[in-house]
Amino acid sequence: MNYFPWLTIVIVLPIVGGSLIFLFPHKGNKVIRSYTICICLLDLLLTTYAFYYHFELDDPLIQLTENYKWINFFDFYWRFGIDGLSLGPILLTGFITTLATLAAQPVTRESKFFYFLMLAMYSGQIGPFSSRDILLFFIMWELELIPVYLLLSMWGGKKRLYSATKFILYTAGSSVFLLMGILGIGLYGSNEPTLNFELLTNQSYPVALEIIFYIGFLIAFAVKSPIIPLHTWLPDTHGEAHYSTCMLLAGILLKMGAYGLVRINMELLSRAHSIFCPWLMLLGSFQIIYAASTSLGQLNLKKRIAYSSVSHMGFLIIGIGSISDTGLNGAILQIISHGFIGAALFFLAGTSYDRLRLLYLDEMGGMAIPMPKIFTVFTILSMASLALPGMSGFVAELIVFWGIITSQKYLLITKILITFITAIGMILTPIYLLSILRQMFYGYKLFNTPNSYFFDSGPRELFISISILIPVIGIGIYPDFILSFSANKVEAILANFL
Amino acid sequence: MEYTYQSSWIIPFVPFPVPILIGIGLILFPTSTKNLRRMWAFPSIFLLIIVMIFSVDLSIHQVNKSSIYQYVWSWTINNDLSLEFGYLIDSLTSIMSILITTVGILVLIYSDNYMSHDQGYLRFFAYMTLFNISMLGLVTSSNLIQIYIFWELVGMCSYLLIGFWFTRPIAANSCQKAFVTNRVGDFGLLLGILGIYWITGSLEFQDLFQIFNNLIYKNEVNIFFVTMCTLLLFCGSVAKSAQFPLHIWLPDAMEGPTPISALIHAATMVAAGIFLIARLLPLFIVLPPVMNGIAFIGIITVVLGATLAIAQKDIKKNLAYSTMSQLGYMMLALGMGSYRIALFHLITHAYSKALLFLGSGSIIHSMEAIVGYSPDKSQNMVLMGGLTKHVPITKTFFLIGTLSLCGIPPFACFWSKDEILNDSWLYSPIFAIIACSTAGLTAFYMFRIYLLVFEGYFNVHFLNFNGKKNSSFYSISLWGKEGRKKKRKINLLVLLRMKNNEMTSFLFKKTYLHKIHRNVKNITRLFFHSTKMGTIKTVSLYPHESDNSMRFSMLVLVLFTLFVGTIGISFNQKGMDSEDILSKLLIPFIDLLHENSKKIADWYEFFTNATFSVIITFFGMFLASFFYKPVYSSLKSLNLLNFFEKKSLTKRIFSDKIINIIYGWSYNRGYVNTFYETFLIGNVRKLAKFNYFFDRQVIDGIPNAIGLTSFFMGESIKYAGGGRISSYILFFIIFILIFLIIGYSLFIY
Repeated sequence: MNYFPWLTIVIVLPIVGGSLIFLFPHKGNKVIRSYTICICLLDLLLTTYAFYYHFELDDPLIQLTENYKWINFFDFYWRFGIDGLSLGPILLTGFITTLATLAAQPVTRESKFFYFLMLAMYSGQIGPFSSRDILLFFIMWELELIPVYLLLSMWGGKKRLYSATKFILYTAGSSVFLLMGILGIGLYGSNEPTLNFELLTNQSYPVALEIIFYIGFLIAFAVKSPIIPLHTWLPDTHGEAHYSTCMLLAGILLKMGAYGLVRINMELLSRAHSIFCPWLMLLGSFQIIYAASTSLGQLNLKKRIAYSSVSHMGFLIIGIGSISDTGLNGAILQIISHGFIGAALFFLAGTSYDRLRLLYLDEMGGMAIPMPKIFTVFTILSMASLALPGMSGFVAELIVFWGIITSQKYLLITKILITFITAIGMILTPIYLLSILRQMFYGYKLFNTPNSYFFDSGPRELFISISILIPVIGIGIYPDFILSFSANKVEAILANFL
Repeated sequence: MEYTYQSSWIIPFVPFPVPILIGIGLILFPTSTKNLRRMWAFPSIFLLIIVMIFSVDLSIHQVNKSSIYQYVWSWTINNDLSLEFGYLIDSLTSIMSILITTVGILVLIYSDNYMSHDQGYLRFFAYMTLFNISMLGLVTSSNLIQIYIFWELVGMCSYLLIGFWFTRPIAANSCQKAFVTNRVGDFGLLLGILGIYWITGSLEFQDLFQIFNNLIYKNEVNIFFVTMCTLLLFCGSVAKSAQFPLHIWLPDAMEGPTPISALIHAATMVAAGIFLIARLLPLFIVLPPVMNGIAFIGIITVVLGATLAIAQKDIKKNLAYSTMSQLGYMMLALGMGSYRIALFHLITHAYSKALLFLGSGSIIHSMEAIVGYSPDKSQNMVLMGGLTKHVPITKTFFLIGTLSLCGIPPFACFWSKDEILNDSWLYSPIFAIIACSTAGLTAFYMFRIYLLVFEGYFNVHFLNFNGKKNSSFYSISLWGKEGRKKKRKINLLVLLRMKNNEMTSFLFKKTYLHKIHRNVKNITRLFFHSTKMGTIKTVSLYPHESDNSMRFSMLVLVLFTLFVGTIGISFNQKGMDSEDILSKLLIPFIDLLHENSKKIADWYEFFTNATFSVIITFFGMFLASFFYKPVYSSLKSLNLLNFFEKKSLTKRIFSDKIINIIYGWSYNRGYVNTFYETFLIGNVRKLAKFNYFFDRQVIDGIPNAIGLTSFFMGESIKYAGGGRISSYILFFIIFILIFLIIGYSLFIY
């Protein structure tokens, strides 16, 4: 119906536009900055336009498809397409990446390279969400690792090399499993490799083989998502990275793991998934408590928020494991919701770090008076993160709870157990978030440093925080907006399990 | 009329523009918004008045024709999940919304003056309006999820308002404590809601009750599971209404500004728990064990709150414990199944306690000018005293509030409390005895506050030489703990010889001089003049009466306190069966205890019961005046004291011990806080530390160890293959030797 290659343009535009940065004359950062933001905005607008006019929400099938043969001899296609599942994450990517680029304005060192990497990330993030060829998915998946590694190792904090190495080792190690799984799936059965998602959905495997594939993919996505015990790269990475990178990491990269779980583990390997899902749910509820209580023991602000991300990812896993319509919808809503909240929290932590140059909570205090705006926004976002009603986090968590309750698959005892454990997280979450607030902002402190005058957030930072707050509250009040994206697709996925 | 109902969805939304506009104004145009700050009080009060008129109208409809009006919109539509938003107007809603709006308006008027010099005036009004919105939303909500949503929002407003003065570290701690404690309750509430949904498949109240009752009667559900779910629901209101195990947040919540304590932590939000139980009473009533549990928790809270209130020195904390105790009465009434009386007490208590809090706010406000803005000083009853002369109007108002709360006949709380006590006799004699004696205790601690604050001398200027509690007869100290320490007798001559300067320094030492021998009090006046010169440099020596707008709201509350009792008094004269307004409102009211006996408000019976409770109250008041009577007047009763004092020494020591134990218990808040701190918080901290350690050392240790070993392996291999011929030759020779040895040994065999 429509043969204009929207997705290709959306994916290729940022990286091509980014490589043009190197042709710019050395005339200061201003030009580069505004150019990058223009590219980001253009891409976001293009995405929105394409989705608004050429995507039909009622249709659970793949839309905006593109199919170009790339490598002939093993049937490798440049194949893109989106459905309700990937619509939300792609829009989220566009939104968060644009804001992260805006947030990264204070970066002046090697700014050309920095902005190129940001734009490369843009492409690398949209890529996996929209590819319909499993090998292409892998390539795009890998594509986004390199910019993160470089962003981390060049613009990070003191221990940046350690964390960058850890990050790349973890993710590259997981990619091995991903690649093996993909090759296994692709080469199974027929003479010719099948890499197309549509064909793979209908393929069936022997149970043992399916379980092996499932474990492989699970490890790959568990590192990214992260699922305990493969999460330790995350606090280090987040603790060291520049906050714009953190926004990307928390906002989008973590969601790729969850997306992969739904896209591959649920859609392609449904039989193994129904074997594994009770364990996934248990793992998820345990993760919520474990990460929340670990977060309590942290003194480093960024690491504390990082652990809170890990804790919130537990809801995703539970939602995916619940195999119910509601639960999966909740998980998808949580992807979007945490994308906003996590990114905003890291942004605020970063901006206050820029002012205070302190990372440890016990050294801070009394910042509410010099920085009332940051205080306000931080309070609102902490509330959003601890699932205050009226914000997106609450709706997502509530729907996940609903998913557990209404799930047909489990016995009553299991449901009670999992609900109970998960709900304990509800008590732990406010403890660490409000302690952050208390230790950072409440009380009073005389700053003896010579440079004791703090700027409150300026218009740019205020703009970023408000533009994240609006969707957070918007989704909280009207969640149907996000749910309507994926409702049909979720039904289609769950039809496999009946 | 239909139109009124249809448009009543607007109730929570009417005040909504205020916080939004204030928020936008503060972020975008901070200076101009702050300059116009006093302007903002008007719209918030005005909009709330509109809501009040609306709800009065609704309740008039409800009185005439009690009906339930419900309307819902769908919020999220999914196949399995359809959450709906709506509103439910019934008698309970209309009563609660009148209560919230009237107290809200008065508190807003009051706080316009109270907060006028505060930096956060606008923030305060925004929070207050937000709170009113959430509270109105809570009472109009039509399903459990909506209740949960507003429940949390109310908790958040409370958090923000307790931490309103965020530079105070204590306030920071208490607001977090309040939120987390409430979250424990919310945890129960959410689980309860989920469980109930799982059982009945519905969230709307009406359907829910029907399905639930059917299930129970047909015995189709696991009774244990149902009981657990209802108990979890109850857990929510335990936290919000500060009932026994989760009451610890309420006294600390007094760190917030006083108007907040009046509105949120005395009148409305803490009543939300009572409201929830009242709303869900059809659910609880089919499960007698749960009802008993509610009554039990209620009675424990009644006693605990009252005993903890007797040794507080902070006026607001004292009132907070009294609130807790009164909430316990309501919970007890609900547990007994007396729906109407619980609500009656809720209303009367709300007005009386709001009056008391506003009165204490007025006192604090006038004290602040003299002793400074630290809550340790301005709310400290030890420093007050003799305020009758300086703030006569506040004194009158406060006295009325006190009398009402004690249960002296013409005032509001008398009617409701009396009914609760009556019903408790029907329910269980043990509970009744406890409840009645606690009524005496209530009178004791309320009059203790009153006497300490308003009678005697103004103590700021000679804080260590006051006559209070200096008699050696009892070692009760206002400072609670210090009462146990050994009394020190000061030589009178030494004191007399002291110069002014020395005394100034003396004043600020926390010595135990307030336990000077009784003789000192004869000369206190003398001291007073001497200290005045030395220490006080402030403009005002004595507290001032507060301004008109503050007095106005207190006056209106006084009127409420005087007359609100009438709505619950049944005037059945001449054999007419006219019920009181409240019963009319609550037509489908549930009454477990009066089911059998026809409800005859016999005047005779009423009088006997009332006399009994009033006697108990007077006994409590007498005790209080005995202990806390100001010095000069107690001179008259000196003989009496001496008479007691002459009794055997051992007996005195024994009674001292008992009193000390009681005071220690009370002063240390019944050791509940300590218990939580050592067991719960300590363990959570330990767990967090352990988890952190585990995460760093074990989970993270594995990849780090792998990294390190691979690094060392690489290094060693690099070293081995470093291109040095000598080392190659060494390896070569070593291996040749090894092979030779192996070959040789093989050869030998």
